[in-house]
Amino acid sequence: MVELRNVHMEFAKKNVLEGVSLDVQPQERLVIMGQSGSGKSTILRLILGILRPNAGAIRFKQFEINRLQRKKLQQVRQRIGMVYQYSALLSSQTVRENVALPLEELTEKSRSEIDKIVDEKLELVGMQDAKDLLPDELSGGMRKRVALARALVLEPELILLDEPSAGLDPVIASVVDELIISLTEKSKVTSVTVTHEMESAFRIATRMAMLYDGKIIEEGEPEEFKRSKNPVVAQFLSGSTEGPILEGSLDAIRKK
Amino acid sequence: MANAETRRTGPGPFEVVEIERTFLREVGSVFWFIVNTFQETLERVQQGRVPFRAASFFRQSVRAGVDSVPLVGLVSFFLGLTMALLTGYQLQRFGTERLIPGLVAIAFTRELGPLLTGIMLAARIGAAFTAELGTMQVNEEVEAIEAMGIGPLRFLAAPRMLALFLLMPCLSTVSNIAAVFASSLVCKAYFSIAFPYFLDLVKDSLLIRDIITGVLKSFMFGLLIGAIACYRGLTVKGGAAGVGNNTTSSVVTAITTVIGFDTVYNVVYTNFYPV
Repeated sequence: MVELRNVHMEFAKKNVLEGVSLDVQPQERLVIMGQSGSGKSTILRLILGILRPNAGAIRFKQFEINRLQRKKLQQVRQRIGMVYQYSALLSSQTVRENVALPLEELTEKSRSEIDKIVDEKLELVGMQDAKDLLPDELSGGMRKRVALARALVLEPELILLDEPSAGLDPVIASVVDELIISLTEKSKVTSVTVTHEMESAFRIATRMAMLYDGKIIEEGEPEEFKRSKNPVVAQFLSGSTEGPILEGSLDAIRKK
Repeated sequence: MANAETRRTGPGPFEVVEIERTFLREVGSVFWFIVNTFQETLERVQQGRVPFRAASFFRQSVRAGVDSVPLVGLVSFFLGLTMALLTGYQLQRFGTERLIPGLVAIAFTRELGPLLTGIMLAARIGAAFTAELGTMQVNEEVEAIEAMGIGPLRFLAAPRMLALFLLMPCLSTVSNIAAVFASSLVCKAYFSIAFPYFLDLVKDSLLIRDIITGVLKSFMFGLLIGAIACYRGLTVKGGAAGVGNNTTSSVVTAITTVIGFDTVYNVVYTNFYPV
């Protein structure tokens, strides 16, 4: 469903992605793991066409995202839902207005049809009682759930989730993760999640990929990941300070 | 070499070139911003859909227009009063105080009304638009809109730009009326020009072309202020400090552009239509 081929991306002359190649199969829940600042969110923005790569190709179904013109790109984006790390709900609009926005702007549906769909989606994420509240009046977990409802409202084929459980307490993080699993299974949606929260990653994933040093260094099912012999993956999963990830920088910290 | 460095007071030739390049790049960016906003809006109209929500347009119109009436009216009233008073005493020395109504009416209709309104709106509304859109940009709201497949230019910038474009001439008219009214009070109180006679003098001196000139300018000022404010808002980088910097820059750029455009307009206009 999604293909990244030898994608290079640099910001301010710093290489973030150096030849990333990745395939996302239909109806799988791929989790991309990696350190903070390793370029995980950049991959999601590249799939959406928000960023253009310096080199390489990104394909979503039959569309080559990095070559599409603005108008076509906007049409393709309607088939992809995105949940941002900080939810990115429109702060001046109520929960209902936020969820209804894509329907009002991009479909010909009547007011009553829109209301019905919004109610349905809010019920799915358990937020039907909060529809008249503003995002500022919601907790972090509630915002994530509303963002999820908004991302699903156009019935997308692919959903991208940027750190869905970051900043949430463990119980709410589990609720959000379970919600992601049940919604993607029910709607048969493919999902790509980026996270560095291990528990969340193993709960959600049907397949995992590890991004390190601008490249995908390991791909596989969660169980294979747990048994990985790759020292970077092993260190990342264990959260140990000893290993190749902090090589050099840890010595520098200790010397101080 | 070090002495040369310390003696230098102004920018060197390379810095001047860089400043010019930055200026031209910014002018080009604002121009393409207007073109792209227009294009996105037009594409939407061609699809048979309303380009943006009517409620959004009216909300911006109330903010930019209706809510600005007291400020524009009051400032113009005081300026009209002062102008009539100060010019009146000078003209009285030559026995030509009956020129005051025409002078104030022409000055405001052609020049001061649109210019003052432009400066006031750049500060009041331009800053608000930039700060609002800048905060949305920092909070990833703009990116979220784009990610949904909604054109952020037509959705966010177009209603704001259109509101300023359409309401600027209305506010200029408010400014003109307030200033002329204030000068009529001064004329009555200090120079014994009764209100009906005052109106006759205004009608005798004011030409339709003065009014058209002022209205055309106002439309352009509205478009420029709206475009600069939205452009600066949507290109914010660097969090809260970035919002602050771009808001300041938006106001400064908009005021400078309005005055610069006004000068160019006057030079061109007086060359083609002298008198």
